[in-house]
Amino acid sequence: MKSFANVNARDLKDAALRLKEPNAIAIGGGSDLLGMVKDHLVQPDVLVNLKTIHGLDQISAKSSEVNIGGLVTLDTLSHDPMIRSNYRVLAEAAESVATPQIRNVGTLAGNVCQRPWCWYYRNNFPCFKNGGTKCFSVAGENQFHAIFGGGPSFIVHPSDTAPALVALDARFRIAGPSRERTIPAAEFFALPKVNAAKENVLAKDEILASVHLPRAGKNTRSTYHKVMDREAWTHAVVSVAAVLEMDGQVCKRARIVLGGVAPIPWRLDKVEAMLEGQRITPELAAKAGEGAVAGANPLAKNGYKVPLTKAVVRRTLEGLAQV
Amino acid sequence: MSRISRRRFFEGTGAGIVATAVPVKGQQPARPAVPRTTIQITVNGARQKLEVEDRWTLVEALRDHLGLTGAKIGCDRGECGACTVLLDGKPVYSCSQLAVWADGRSVETVEGLARDGRLDPLQEAFIEHDGPQCGFCTSGQLMSAKALLNRNSHPTADEVRAAMTGNICRCSNYNRYVESVLAAAAAPATTASAAARRKA
Amino acid sequence: MTTLNSVGHPSPRIDALKRVSGAATYTGDIRLPGMLYARVLRSPHAHARIRRIDVSKARALDGVKAILTRENCDVVWGSGDTRNKRYLFNNPVRFAGDAVAAVAAVDRHTAEEATRLIEVEYETLPFVLDPEDALKDGAPEIQPGGNLSPNNQGQRQPEVLRRGSIEEGLRAADHVFEDHYTSSHINNAQLEPRVSIAQWEGGRLTVYASTQGISNCHTEIARDLELDAKNVRVVCQFMGGGFGNKNQCHDFDLMAAMLAKQTGAPVKLEFTRKEDYVAVHGRWPTKQYYKVGVRNNGTLTAIQLRGYSGMGPYRKGTGGIAGIEIYQCPHVERTVHPVLTNMAVSANLRGPDYPQGVFGLESLMDDIAYSLKIDPVEFRLKNMTRKFNDQTPYTSIGLEDCIRRGAEAFEWKKRWHAIPGVGDRPAKRGAGMAMGSFFSSLGRSSAVIDVDSRGMYHVHVGVTDIGTAAKTTMALIAAETLGVPLEKIDVIWGDTDRCPYSVGESGSRTTTHTGYAVVEAAKELKRQIAEKGMPRDNDVLTATANTNPTVPGMARYSFVAHFAEVEVDTDLGHVRLVKYVAAHDSGRVVNPLTATSQVKGGATMGIGMALHEGLLYDRASGVPLNAGYYGARVMTHRDAPEIEVLWVETEDAYGPYGAKTLGEPTIIPSVAAVANAIYNAIGKRVKDLPITRDKILGVLA
Repeated sequence: MKSFANVNARDLKDAALRLKEPNAIAIGGGSDLLGMVKDHLVQPDVLVNLKTIHGLDQISAKSSEVNIGGLVTLDTLSHDPMIRSNYRVLAEAAESVATPQIRNVGTLAGNVCQRPWCWYYRNNFPCFKNGGTKCFSVAGENQFHAIFGGGPSFIVHPSDTAPALVALDARFRIAGPSRERTIPAAEFFALPKVNAAKENVLAKDEILASVHLPRAGKNTRSTYHKVMDREAWTHAVVSVAAVLEMDGQVCKRARIVLGGVAPIPWRLDKVEAMLEGQRITPELAAKAGEGAVAGANPLAKNGYKVPLTKAVVRRTLEGLAQV
Repeated sequence: MSRISRRRFFEGTGAGIVATAVPVKGQQPARPAVPRTTIQITVNGARQKLEVEDRWTLVEALRDHLGLTGAKIGCDRGECGACTVLLDGKPVYSCSQLAVWADGRSVETVEGLARDGRLDPLQEAFIEHDGPQCGFCTSGQLMSAKALLNRNSHPTADEVRAAMTGNICRCSNYNRYVESVLAAAAAPATTASAAARRKA
Repeated sequence: MTTLNSVGHPSPRIDALKRVSGAATYTGDIRLPGMLYARVLRSPHAHARIRRIDVSKARALDGVKAILTRENCDVVWGSGDTRNKRYLFNNPVRFAGDAVAAVAAVDRHTAEEATRLIEVEYETLPFVLDPEDALKDGAPEIQPGGNLSPNNQGQRQPEVLRRGSIEEGLRAADHVFEDHYTSSHINNAQLEPRVSIAQWEGGRLTVYASTQGISNCHTEIARDLELDAKNVRVVCQFMGGGFGNKNQCHDFDLMAAMLAKQTGAPVKLEFTRKEDYVAVHGRWPTKQYYKVGVRNNGTLTAIQLRGYSGMGPYRKGTGGIAGIEIYQCPHVERTVHPVLTNMAVSANLRGPDYPQGVFGLESLMDDIAYSLKIDPVEFRLKNMTRKFNDQTPYTSIGLEDCIRRGAEAFEWKKRWHAIPGVGDRPAKRGAGMAMGSFFSSLGRSSAVIDVDSRGMYHVHVGVTDIGTAAKTTMALIAAETLGVPLEKIDVIWGDTDRCPYSVGESGSRTTTHTGYAVVEAAKELKRQIAEKGMPRDNDVLTATANTNPTVPGMARYSFVAHFAEVEVDTDLGHVRLVKYVAAHDSGRVVNPLTATSQVKGGATMGIGMALHEGLLYDRASGVPLNAGYYGARVMTHRDAPEIEVLWVETEDAYGPYGAKTLGEPTIIPSVAAVANAIYNAIGKRVKDLPITRDKILGVLA
């Protein structure tokens, strides 16, 4: 690896200030970022180690919300009894990531801020993500690329927790050197047509400090369904984060967010509207599947994601309806 | 400050002169000193003090600077598990941890499994049930299995597979590893006689 | 089959203790005083002329001790290309990953940094990735003389196998079936990345290589560096797998040696995993066109294969596409074109010619069976080989038993559907099978056994044990022949200074070649003991055997049949293995414990080849996109099904105690068995490996 200094951050402000330096990068669990340093995708002179900041690794339930520190590991998140029972989609999403070794150190914030796994990007092609002005997947091997929201870059957002958090109407607390801001999860992620080089709105000197979930309504059921190209240790080909607030057999409120299909977590607001006020019958679930792929724009080699998405949405809703 | 210029790929057909260089802008022959840090880690129960380059991974520190070559580097990217060690009791990819982050923490490697000359039941079982073929993934498989049995002493086969998912075996001896771990979980507490029979 | 004392009993590996305690020393574990670290700079282009290399900035970097490029190193890597001259550093570079320079420095980070300071000016050239395209007019010429790589006689002709007259065979058929199949470049992906350590002491070179073939390495290093053989020593005590691609000396062994020479220090050259995927070699990708003629009653009359194998730009492998030999058929014609391309080089991976060819042939045979409404098992029993090449008797053949007993253990009748795709949606189950055979060679090898006054026997063999438990196999054979317990046997291996010639652990030949030499050496030693008595004090009795047995007038083969049941989720295109039975005839099984592990391993590798693996190239740039364990979706614990192994032990008069080949037959039918099971489940066929989700959803659409 190139040489760099590891700087242990004292607190969020200290970390954010250090991140102002031109070649300083924040690092949490490090599983992905160290690999990116080794592959010369990033060239830090300073790694600002966030793990030494106290207090960012707690899950705490308040009266109106649940706070999850950005440094909470995926393993902790997936096993936390309160998260499992009240925010199951998030526990399942965290549990689906990679392997035990990675979940033991991987953080929630790191998973949300993870860079894409597009093989052109990762093989150092001079693409948008690497500071260039082209997306090589368009005319190339795009089996795993976007069917929604793509252009000019067609990456898919690689995070599992991100669609779950959007489906849970989470809010993200972002800490900078002199101020903090809290924004809805959905506003954290940015389409390539806004900025093809990045996937989210974090400034260079900002850190995703914590995630805040509204109190789960009674009778809320949720799940995360991830389709992978081997039984484990793979990013989602397509995934569905679904949260349904039920009133008896009727769905009062729905949030359906897809992973693996777009450069950002892809919320299906039209499908949600279809479900709200209805009983989730197999027919409605099938209609929801159809609705989920309306307007899809597959590339030359990822057309299979359309029937796949349709099926995964239908199955997920059928499964949740029976809970 | 350094900036690496990108390689430019020639697009299209036909020949063309393409300059492909990776100069480091403003690079001088002699470089600034590589940042180093002194760390204290407990490895297999023994306190160690070590001066490391900040960029050294934990597996590099263990293998090249503490002489513990049991953990292997299979991919150096957290994609294979050959480097699995226990960090404060939890299995991690030591290739994806900086050595400096282990400061003040405790690391267990395969060399620490045997106690007082007696093999761990897992090691016994791996021998009896033919766990290792080429043996390169074996240290990592052992550490993941050890962490599993530490928290769940009677796992099912599915639980074993789930706990060891992060350890690739290209010889593909997966059936045998699962068999071995289940056997170790079922083994009696002491296996001194079996250990005594072993020869190097 | 008679029960023996040592051979045939399940025995734990004699070196297992070292492997489970972290005490086994692999090449990368070795550190020598003053050792330098080396890394290689590689071409980012698929085909390019190097106009200029400037190493000045790299050389000036603090800690850099030596740099090799074509300009100061013109060593030829003799085994790097069996048809053309291949240097350590070539110009033009002919594949993305071709070596351009090697740097030795005080540590690996400095060495890597230095490679990035080397400035190279490339003139890119047109490239070609597909073997059929490479034969078309106007395709870029990769080596002088054209892209069809010459055959063993030096002629630019495809490799041809003929039996009878294919025209007659096709005329005699009631039906002629035609189809085509493709397979991908598969990397060996052994868990130990490539590494080599070279050290000179005066004029004597020691190479700590990660190799399956210390003897081969030894001979080739001496040849390529123009050294006296006695001035070269190759050592490999433990190595982390090879599956066929570590059987010879490699360019990086020679680079390490040259860097060590220049610097006067030992040099350890290390590969990254990505380099391991693209810079050495893997299984050749193929395109296979079949025509098969059959009678109404299911008897074969003709098999024709026209095949193209992508060999990369340097010819290291045969390019063969095997499978036809498992069928009895009067008229056969196989024409295989090994073709140069600008992809990663192709060479040996477990059963090099086989699993891809068996995939193609057995897919078509399956289709034929269904068309004629014949049970696929019955079709194989009807048409399976009885004599090699339909004329030479086998020394032993248990293929029928493999098929019958395998089918029974698998519950074929219960799991297989006469009408494919008939199950309930969305999760459809189906069963498939395939058969295979593999040459069980006998040939040259050596062994030296001595006995000391304590009654300890030392067996010196040139094996390194790539995971096959070869050391244990040799010990069992020695113990059996000598009539002593296993504890009395000590195996000395992995060092050309101490061990005699061994063929190298490839072609599954170790047990048969070297095991045979061990038998003969043991017999000779017994004779000496009978004559002179056991040695006393510091005396030692020594027996040497240099053997090269032949099997006159007969063919010696191992036989296999694999059966797979899959469940295909037709909504998601997902395949899950439900049941898998592997039936093997490898003659007498020397060590059932480790042999069974071999079968489980090979079958699982084959499932990965069927469902997941294949090196994918970006067509516009000729750069591979998915190198590495993640990219290749290598099978994990959760992917691996339970593989049930069934031994059909035939009596064979040859080889050590009748043992036949074992390691490679394990993968041969596995890919086809899975492909045929998928067809049975969904009623549609995917003819392009790997059978990934997008292809399954594609045929179902």
